[in-house]
Amino acid sequence: MASEEESAVKEPLDLIRLSLDERIYVKLRSDRELRGKLHAYDQHLNMILGDVEEIVTTVEIDDETYEEIVRSTRRTVPFLFVRGDGVILVSPPLRTA
Amino acid sequence: MSGTIAAEKASSTTKTPSDFLKSIRGRPVVVKLNSGVDYRGILACLDGYMNIAMEQTEEYVNGQLKNKYGDAFIRGNNVLYISTSKRTLAEDE
Amino acid sequence: MAHNPSQLLPSELIDRCIGSKIWVIMKGDKELVGTLKGFDVYVNMVLEDVTEYEITPEGRRITKLDQILLNGNNIAILVPGGSPDPE
Repeated sequence: MASEEESAVKEPLDLIRLSLDERIYVKLRSDRELRGKLHAYDQHLNMILGDVEEIVTTVEIDDETYEEIVRSTRRTVPFLFVRGDGVILVSPPLRTA
Repeated sequence: MSGTIAAEKASSTTKTPSDFLKSIRGRPVVVKLNSGVDYRGILACLDGYMNIAMEQTEEYVNGQLKNKYGDAFIRGNNVLYISTSKRTLAEDE
Repeated sequence: MAHNPSQLLPSELIDRCIGSKIWVIMKGDKELVGTLKGFDVYVNMVLEDVTEYEITPEGRRITKLDQILLNGNNIAILVPGGSPDPE
């Protein structure tokens, strides 16, 4: 455990602070995911992201076969504001693969 | 770990949420969200809103591993519960 | 005299459950039974030896948990003494 101390994460929001100017992954409600560079955030997890890729996943049921059809829609947005109340999870870029 | 022993003895019958939060740092936990998704990993820290920072996090949907995150921040309003096991192999004794 | 039973606060009722089994019914299709170790003003609760029941389209899913901190936000009903369910 002592080896983890260098990361200086004393409260959960420190993890976000350490990700400033890094690309992060954000999982949002209603099956939305974002990857982008974190420019700013506040205590509500409102965030400003730049150079963002948004992935929206939808599941439809085929009328005839009743099979689930999973669709991912991707788009890029140069700059956006994320309202914090929709945020489920934030992950800094993976250092371990 | 040893510093909490006296406190736990003194309140062996009661353990408030804040006692619990103090006792689980660095331990393996399961965090379940209201959506039913489970996150398993090592609890790095948390705050009074139940915001959680976790390490070596695995995301399970319907019991199936869906994702892994090196570090993860989970926003507290989504949290249904935080669970620890009494006997954990890594922390035993 | 000083203690009118009709003035029993809900939080006092829960306080009397500490150390014994309690049945927690959540908003939505979830219930938990466990031993109450403590709670706070938001009725966040520490529970031990917990059985979680989830009602899913596939049936009832049961999960056993040693110790949990349950978020009070989605609690609907608390029943002292545990579930009448024989399981």
